[in-house]
Amino acid sequence: MKDINLVVEICGSAGEGTISAGEILSRFMSGQGFEIMSFDSYPAEIRGFGKCVAHTRISTNPIYSPGKYADVLISLNDRHSISQLSVLKSDGILIYDNQPPKAHKEDQSVVGWATPGMISYGIPLNMLANKAAGNARGMNMVALGALAALFHVDKDAFTGSIRNRYAKKKQIVVDSNVNSFLQGYEWTKTNVNKTDLISFDSVSPQVQGEKLITNGNQLVARAALDAKLSFYAGYPITPATKIMEILSKELPKHGGTLLQTEDEIAAIGAVIGAGFGGKRAMTATSGPGFALMTEFTGLSMMAEVPAVIINSQRGGPSTGIPTKTEQSDFNAALFSGTGDCPRVVLAPTDTSSCYQAMVTALYIAEKYQTLVVLLLDFFLSNSIKNIDVPDKPSQEQIYANIAPNKEQLKDYKRYKDTKNGISPRAIPGTPGGMFFSTGLEHSEYGRPDYTDANHLKMTKKRYRKFESILCEAPKLEISAMDSESVDIGVVSWGSSAGAAHEAVMIARKEGMNAASFSSMMVSPFPEDELIAFTDRCKQILIPELNFSGQFAGFAAGIIKRPVERLNFITGRPMAAEDILQKMREM
Amino acid sequence: MEQIGSEYLDDKLATVKEIDFLQYRSGDLPTWCPGCGYFGIVDAFYKACRELELKHEDIVAVSGIGCSGRTPIFINSYGFHTLHGRSIPVASGLKLAREDLNVFAVAGDGDALGIGGGHLPHVARKNINITFLLFDNSIYGLTKGQSSSTTPHEQKTNSHPAGNPDKPLNPIKLALSYDASFVARGYAGDPQGLKEIIKAGTLHKGFSFIQILTPCVTFDKEYRTWKNLKENVYDLNLSVKEKNMETAMRAAENEPFGIGIFFQDTNRPHYQDILRRLNAAD
Ligand SMILES: Cc1ncc(C[n+]2csc(CCOP(=O)(O)OP(=O)(O)O)c2C)c(N)n1
Ligand code: SF4
Repeated sequence: MKDINLVVEICGSAGEGTISAGEILSRFMSGQGFEIMSFDSYPAEIRGFGKCVAHTRISTNPIYSPGKYADVLISLNDRHSISQLSVLKSDGILIYDNQPPKAHKEDQSVVGWATPGMISYGIPLNMLANKAAGNARGMNMVALGALAALFHVDKDAFTGSIRNRYAKKKQIVVDSNVNSFLQGYEWTKTNVNKTDLISFDSVSPQVQGEKLITNGNQLVARAALDAKLSFYAGYPITPATKIMEILSKELPKHGGTLLQTEDEIAAIGAVIGAGFGGKRAMTATSGPGFALMTEFTGLSMMAEVPAVIINSQRGGPSTGIPTKTEQSDFNAALFSGTGDCPRVVLAPTDTSSCYQAMVTALYIAEKYQTLVVLLLDFFLSNSIKNIDVPDKPSQEQIYANIAPNKEQLKDYKRYKDTKNGISPRAIPGTPGGMFFSTGLEHSEYGRPDYTDANHLKMTKKRYRKFESILCEAPKLEISAMDSESVDIGVVSWGSSAGAAHEAVMIARKEGMNAASFSSMMVSPFPEDELIAFTDRCKQILIPELNFSGQFAGFAAGIIKRPVERLNFITGRPMAAEDILQKMREM
Repeated sequence: MEQIGSEYLDDKLATVKEIDFLQYRSGDLPTWCPGCGYFGIVDAFYKACRELELKHEDIVAVSGIGCSGRTPIFINSYGFHTLHGRSIPVASGLKLAREDLNVFAVAGDGDALGIGGGHLPHVARKNINITFLLFDNSIYGLTKGQSSSTTPHEQKTNSHPAGNPDKPLNPIKLALSYDASFVARGYAGDPQGLKEIIKAGTLHKGFSFIQILTPCVTFDKEYRTWKNLKENVYDLNLSVKEKNMETAMRAAENEPFGIGIFFQDTNRPHYQDILRRLNAAD
């Protein structure tokens, strides 16, 4: 069987159906059994005719990163597409409109900018759309038709997919889209002399069970509902808003309550209030909101009240770059706030692990009575993947509070210093369980107590919980090592882990001796495992999407060795190609 | 045998209840300065709980930071001493997640109107069903006598030795303009009256705003002293004028020492009822 590994970009301006064409393409390919990953970029402005790019990777094999360069660029708009040529491979394929309604000046036509190694196919997109439906709206479908014809994609299955997509629309909408597609298909079959080698003919990937086409924001919302979230409070902020919007529809149906608060301080305050009441509660935000929540993170830790904060990172600092991806809140997530304030930080490494991370976050927060920060980023929140339908959480993960028994209630110490640091927690409404919680240093009974012996004892108790939490850490992702030691070990975290993993796989194919390591749990960090791994690496490379190497500094402190850093703040997701290049240079 | 008269029984019952209210007191002795008005406030609170027969385990007192913040320690119930200015959001989240509980939020004037002032309009307009007790001594007590948002203009304080340059806020006017559905003022020196107000606020279905005039005997020797309060405080005797915003506003403007219920809207649904109606219609 032949392998397919293809990146297709559709570039147009907002309102030209660019994004919906990308969506139809990826849904169709997913239905055909391919792995897909897509990541669109929009103009920052809500209105206007800014540049849009629908970026889709299609593969017969697992996909770990979106791919930096495109194999195919479909131009729905010459002006915007000229700059997009910079990410088309030097032997890539350009599909463009060769009969635009108004002829372009020479330097404004995208094909004029294509470099000699590229293959350009001119298709009369506009003209064919008009022929199919009387207007240019169907250009995007004409282009998909051309793509299908060029690459020998099953025409009937594709039109079925288009029909599905518009199933809820009027028949005329369905027909004009399908007709546009067919116009593009037939015209291309008849008129284009194919010179590239891409073909889906006789490629039949294994369709493996039901797939879910989703993104990180949708998955955390789904996971939270499955894990019996009962309260959400939040304040809108890109890229986390969608989580609130999904839950505002779904949570009431599940008997829960959603509160839109006046600011993020109130949001996390309300979450902690609900947590105090024994309910599963969370909020989601991005950097600026996370900064405001900081004062409450200390209270959650100190008063030992469960709370979950999702921070979907944008470009920072301050208001930063709301619609670009970055991993620059590592330090804030681990260290923001005052005092000795341990907290759990989970950073899912790909779309599907967002589900597991969310379930784990709510579970750990409840069982260990602590703050859990779940770090997403703009890329994880928004990029779309087709994943296996996740397993629902177990009962153990859903009901995790350790309540005091009758004996313990006789002389109830809410903050009892126990072996694992977890003190049985009474929920308001429990007779005989009354206690007082405070952010002041307190005794086992919860009463303010500032003696040095007590402060040390209780600080140790709070830290002790974190030793046990490590056992709850989702499995580490460590690639196999063929030999006792490797030349390069790539250590990564969060959404960069996919690209790191992919880079290492390619490097090994190229004959390099390399391995990769990542952990979804970044606080507490599995230090022993990291040391065991890096002890076997001659050199260590840490790629991440921030300028100062926040994680690299953290990891170097653990392994007490210098590390090579690779940092980008371009606003684009980590690319396997860039890591690979760095590895070759090392 | 002597007939036991019904008056005797009533009397006896009253004494028992009177003593009985002490069950709402926790084992901890208040750490407030002797003579602090807050003693009168918690007294009224214990009595209100007793008369409403609230179950200890169903009461949660949520406080901010300040001398007032210590209040939950002295109540035999669940208690949560949160952050400076933040009792309202925590109490709101708690109440929305646990409708079955009686949730009280406690705050000082700095707590409620300074650092936490941004939360007040929203809990009021949402009409979240909690009872809010504003311990208003017009000074920062815990940090030792700096100006607060209700310190009179030109009063000398530790942060403004030459006199407070700021104008004080009028808490009742604020609460009314924020559309609180229950707005009242009590006085720490009148625990009986205050008890009745707290009871009414607790029974009110929606956000109840209760400003309590109280002296900080240690850091305000000038304005809100026991002496001044005793001389000036009087009962407003507004027979609860349902939804009469105009009268309430006028009283808020002109009667800074008048106590009683300024305003109550018993028809307005509270937040959770609104949510239930909207979500059912959806
Ligand atoms: C964020 C923050 N800033 C400042 C303080 C210090 N602080 C504690 S209580 C307080 C003011 C107390 O005054 P008030 O709220 O009127 O309450 P009172 O003590 O009079 O009851 C201040 C400024 C704090 N605890 N937290
Ligand atoms: S400082 Fe003032 S408010 Fe605080 S306890 Fe003493 S008298 Fe009361």
